[in-house]
Amino acid sequence: MSGTVIIGAGMIPMGRHRNSSYPGLAVPAVSTALSSAGVSPAEVGYVACGHAFGGMLTGQRIVKDLGIGGVPVINVDNACSGGAAALQLASMAVVEGITDVALAIGVDKLTQFGGGTLPLVEEDPEVRSGMVMPALYAMRARRFLHERGEDSATLAEVSVKARRHGAANPFAQYRKVVTSEEVLAARMIADPLTLLMCCPTGDGAAAIVVASQDRWRKTGVRGAHIRASVLHSGKATTGFRNMLRPEITIHSANEAYEAAGISPEDIDIIELHDAFSIAELIYYEALGLCPEGDAAALLKGGHTTYGGKVVVNPSGGLIAKGHPVGASGVAQAVEVFWHLTGQAGNRQVEAARFGLCHVTGGGISGMDHGACTIHLLETARKRKAR
Amino acid sequence: MEKTEKYAPERMHTGPAGEQADGVMPFGDLAPGSAGNPLADFATIGGETFLRGARFASGVPAYPKRPLCPETGQPEQVEELFGPRGTLYSYSIVHVSNTRDVPYAIGYVDFLSSLRVLANIRIPAGRALACDGPVVLQSDGERWWVEPEGQA
Repeated sequence: MSGTVIIGAGMIPMGRHRNSSYPGLAVPAVSTALSSAGVSPAEVGYVACGHAFGGMLTGQRIVKDLGIGGVPVINVDNACSGGAAALQLASMAVVEGITDVALAIGVDKLTQFGGGTLPLVEEDPEVRSGMVMPALYAMRARRFLHERGEDSATLAEVSVKARRHGAANPFAQYRKVVTSEEVLAARMIADPLTLLMCCPTGDGAAAIVVASQDRWRKTGVRGAHIRASVLHSGKATTGFRNMLRPEITIHSANEAYEAAGISPEDIDIIELHDAFSIAELIYYEALGLCPEGDAAALLKGGHTTYGGKVVVNPSGGLIAKGHPVGASGVAQAVEVFWHLTGQAGNRQVEAARFGLCHVTGGGISGMDHGACTIHLLETARKRKAR
Repeated sequence: MEKTEKYAPERMHTGPAGEQADGVMPFGDLAPGSAGNPLADFATIGGETFLRGARFASGVPAYPKRPLCPETGQPEQVEELFGPRGTLYSYSIVHVSNTRDVPYAIGYVDFLSSLRVLANIRIPAGRALACDGPVVLQSDGERWWVEPEGQA
């Protein structure tokens, strides 16, 4: 994705916004993104909107309220990766020369389901056998505890860190810190995962403006290069699969690092898919932050929080910031963009140059995940005039 | 115990794609009682329960049955029975679910034939679940499940 720059971003506070429609959720985020980029609606030449549960023409329903029309509007469903896939499409539209300015939107409203587990596709064989998303991650967690000799307190520590980070984020759904004891004492959702180890039900929206290098240079705004944009689908198997080694993330990350010409050690900030606390531990290893088997030590050593090697989920992640499915991929990129451009306020990761966004999309039977998207961003610096 | 499955190659039309529709009828994989029901396609032999799955010409095993091999996309397959014993790879007791009454237990069961199946689990009194623990298939005429093996 060389040549594309994020020049503006917006997000609404995640939460339970039962009185808001999909446009009601997304338009404020889009307006913020456009104004922060210094771009008028008329300049937007392409729109990609990621969502999982918005229904027909969600993107059009949003942008028509802003005066955007007569341009391609693509609606993207890739489960939790829908928003990130929309960002990739927006970037591709700029790379392909379709437009100089493209808009990526992520939005979803989960309160429409009234709570409980995410509705999965009921014709899937594993869903017909009782699979729900917390159970899938719970089985990963159970296997992790079995193989690594850890106990549930390690899973709880992920949530403690997430809530601590989220407490400083005005866009987070949960801003109250919790203790390990509170996490472990919360009601059980899918053994061994308690309520506070799971992402909440919530609504949200985020938006990003992507521009060409030339268009960005004409603006006075800070930007972030999209150094890599990788989207993989899952590969089905009927056989054995190591649930602690999510190959779709491993392959996507390796491809992204290679495309950007950087290594995991170069990354300053990561927003990763911690839909459930076990996921963060598994993805430390899959993203190459530590050798296989060292995830718990990386967390407990404080290496993934402020002052550590890399700050993982400074937003509070999906556990604290919230996880309105289709919105999350864009919201992650918004958060990383804000850090790379010095706009993250009290939670700013100092001197952040490289950021990684990772979001998967599952679950269907036979696959680790149905989708995985990784974006690598770098602070954009304008060349000085001679 | 092996037989050629109904998803036979002769169903596939080999002439020009626009010539006739007979070979491209949709799979009736959601029909009640169809092969491929993940909860009810099993056999009991000598008091033991087996899953009634298939093995494709590529060597890939499958349960539930499916029309095409997930590796090659080809339909050639023979029926194969899996079980009655397997190993519990991982499991969870589910306390929140939008699809059925809670709590219930599910887990991935590995069979020797390189097949992993998501199973419903029933836990007799006095027995416990464990990763890598042995489980055995059980059935009641309508459905199948697994139980941990060992002394109650």
